Amino acid sequence: MPIPSPFHERTQALCSSYRWKDWSGYCAVCSFDVSHEREYFAFRQSAGLLDVSPLYKYEVTGPDAAALLARMMVRDVSQLKVGRVAYTCWCDDGGKVIDDGTVARLASDHFRVTAADPTLHWLQAAGRGFDVTVEDSSTRLAALALQGPTSRAILRAAVTGADLDALKFFGVTRATVGTVPVWISRTGYTGDLGYEVWCERGDALALWDALIEAGRPHGIEPAGLDALDVTRIEAGFILLGVDYFSAKKVVLASRKSTPLELGFGWMVDLERGRFIGRDAIAAEKERGSVWQLVGLEVSWEELEALYESFNLPPSLPATARRDALPVYNDEGLQVGQATSHTWSPLLKKYLAIASVHRGYEAKGTKLQIEHTVEYERRKVTATVAPPPFYDPERKRKP
Amino acid sequence: MGFDVIVIGAGPNGLAAAARLAGAGRKVVVLERADAPGGLAAPNEFHPGYTAPGLLHDEALVPRAVVDKLGLTGHGLTFRPAPATYIAEADGPGLLLASDTAAAVEAIGARSRKDAQSYRDLRAWFDRLTPLFAAVLTEQPPLITPRSPGDFWQIARRGLSLLRISRKDLVELARVAPMCVADFLNERFETPLLVEALAAPAVASTWNGPWSAGTVTHLLLRECAGGETLSGGPPALIAALLAACKSAGAELRTGAEVARLRLDRGKVAGVTLASGETLDAPVVLSSADPKRTMLQLLPPGTLSLRGEEEFLRLRSRGSAAKVHLALSGPLEMKGAGGKLHEAIRIGGGHVDDLERAFDAIKYRRFSERPHLEIRVPTVAEPGLAPPGHHVVSILVSFAPAKLEGGWTPEARESLGDAVLRVLEQHAPGVRDRLVAREILTPADLETRYALSGGQLHHGEVALDQLLMMRPVASTPRYATAVPGLYLGGAGCHPGGGVRPTAGLLAAEAILGA
Repeated sequence: MPIPSPFHERTQALCSSYRWKDWSGYCAVCSFDVSHEREYFAFRQSAGLLDVSPLYKYEVTGPDAAALLARMMVRDVSQLKVGRVAYTCWCDDGGKVIDDGTVARLASDHFRVTAADPTLHWLQAAGRGFDVTVEDSSTRLAALALQGPTSRAILRAAVTGADLDALKFFGVTRATVGTVPVWISRTGYTGDLGYEVWCERGDALALWDALIEAGRPHGIEPAGLDALDVTRIEAGFILLGVDYFSAKKVVLASRKSTPLELGFGWMVDLERGRFIGRDAIAAEKERGSVWQLVGLEVSWEELEALYESFNLPPSLPATARRDALPVYNDEGLQVGQATSHTWSPLLKKYLAIASVHRGYEAKGTKLQIEHTVEYERRKVTATVAPPPFYDPERKRKP
Repeated sequence: MGFDVIVIGAGPNGLAAAARLAGAGRKVVVLERADAPGGLAAPNEFHPGYTAPGLLHDEALVPRAVVDKLGLTGHGLTFRPAPATYIAEADGPGLLLASDTAAAVEAIGARSRKDAQSYRDLRAWFDRLTPLFAAVLTEQPPLITPRSPGDFWQIARRGLSLLRISRKDLVELARVAPMCVADFLNERFETPLLVEALAAPAVASTWNGPWSAGTVTHLLLRECAGGETLSGGPPALIAALLAACKSAGAELRTGAEVARLRLDRGKVAGVTLASGETLDAPVVLSSADPKRTMLQLLPPGTLSLRGEEEFLRLRSRGSAAKVHLALSGPLEMKGAGGKLHEAIRIGGGHVDDLERAFDAIKYRRFSERPHLEIRVPTVAEPGLAPPGHHVVSILVSFAPAKLEGGWTPEARESLGDAVLRVLEQHAPGVRDRLVAREILTPADLETRYALSGGQLHHGEVALDQLLMMRPVASTPRYATAVPGLYLGGAGCHPGGGVRPTAGLLAAEAILGA
């Protein structure tokens, strides 16, 4: 039975659709309206405000905090400067990914880790022998994602004690919103200009009210997870439990993924010394990966023709879908699966995130994706296109 | 300072490794945290003028093959027959178990002809198994998954040595090895006093009672290991090893505690001493216990999580205490008829009394009626105490490392009192001769000798922590997952006691690498 998040009092009053889902044990809004469309366009054209309190959060503090995280994370986060955030994944000894998340360096000896799954045990195991304290701050802290082109203008109006224009992409700073002390990081899951705002649980409602108030002239909309799911596919962000599975949870070894397979190769520095999974990743690099994560753009013309053959207009699901679809090569052999797919209202494209066998990952490779019309399974052409599909300049612009 | 090999610890294993490596031309330094070499085998002047010859009484485990290989006879080491053990009895003359089988059989026969015959048969069976055990105890442990031709050859040779043992003996070995020593001995003997005395060495300083499974294997590992003892006890072994190190050119530094191992790009680069001084070497052989080496000396985060887990799991709970007594006269056992004995055993008279002594530590208490394994070294070496005076060295079974309420000074004294109460029943008047006593609880052993958990064998002796599982299954052959780091102490095969074999085998692993 999911429990209310710190913002529940506000979100439940607005959730006219009554559509909720369980996100890490919390009631999370799928969409406030019957359709998520307004919220989606808020993310893309003004600003959406999303309750991300269900994220797992950990405070790693102490003289060895950097050393612990350098050991645990694939990316060398010990090199992070204070006030910077890094996106990273972490692996088991076998170099298989357990989870991905962000690491923010709030002070030289204070890091905040976010994760999709509970991670306290893993931090403790990786921290044996280190002089560190690990706090599970998941319930102590509340968080809101404010994402979209007007998000900076809204924060500028709401925030004191921080220079928003100086806050760079993947930067983090202390600030005050109204009377609420917060941390603001320029991070998010929509692939647009956006921020995440972190506060103590007791301050949650005051923070919500202040941001809504400041956002009113800038088209702010409370947004739910349905809208987020479309934007994250457009941005090419993968999701644990959908596009890949935690090495700690799968039954079959073949279900595990590696950083190289998930496109996290850029995070890996094999020369920096030991970290968990290093040797296995080095061996994989030598040997070559089995899978490769790719983006797919499904041919609209073929979809239209397919529906035409049934005397139907093209009809695609309104929301992003997580039912995996087989992907074939031109000989009809299955060479992978599309794990997330969505119609992008902005790009006017049918997009998918897929894992394919090595050899099929080159940009422009023509593959076939299954598509069902009137209970009949057919195939349409899908072309490999490296994510992100949507990457506006303002996302990283100063 | 640069060396080829840094050896951590100047106990029997560390010194044996250093002598072997220096003898092969390596530039070696041995770093010892204490002010004098010897480790558990170092002489211990626990009271001015009274010296206990080391902590352990099992120098009979030292294999001749190892002594020969290190040329220790040339440095003055000599063997002598093991002394007879006097088994004390509450209201009776006790039983003198000579190391000579015929004499022991005669003494046992005075109580039970059946037991005399059983003892003869048992010793004969031990003797027939000894070649196999001697080989196992002086070679690298066999691998579960052999890789190199040498590995297969070792297994083949071991197979051949098995062939030399009769089918009947092998079947019996397979049957009894996992048994508990109490069942095994009760099958053979009807004298409770004898059963308890024969069972006790199999469980001393292990986390086992005589009714624990697998203790027959412990018994075999001791009884089939040799039998002769060293003249001069453990310190004589240290003296010979020091002489061997010196003549081979190994350097020894005492008062040099290693604080951390240093690594460079994942490989061993040397050590940092507690003083802050650094020493360089591409190879480090640690004869410190495996938990200490891998979980404390190694910088955190060096091992894989799985690798670390193995060493975290390694059981290393101390279960024995040591008590040293300085006496102004001899230790006169009331049943011994005025004869002084060098080796004495005091139990409750029944194997269940030994089990009861073990029961206590399961619940974090020490035994109020402990089993005492006693040596009176001054019987053979009067020079260890002032003229006419004696030193009594007692291995006390059982006392836990983690005592309920902790090892306070009061708890320590109360353990000493329990030991003296037991001793006094068999040696009335011992208290009047008491000049001084030293009580070393497992907690004291941990701090004084840097033993994880106060475990005298650097890791419990148990079926799952022997042979190719010692110290851990993934790296049983002295090399570790860290390039350049070798383990070569009692925590490795063939294990603890006053026995330099692991150090020698680790040195050979380095030379063969």
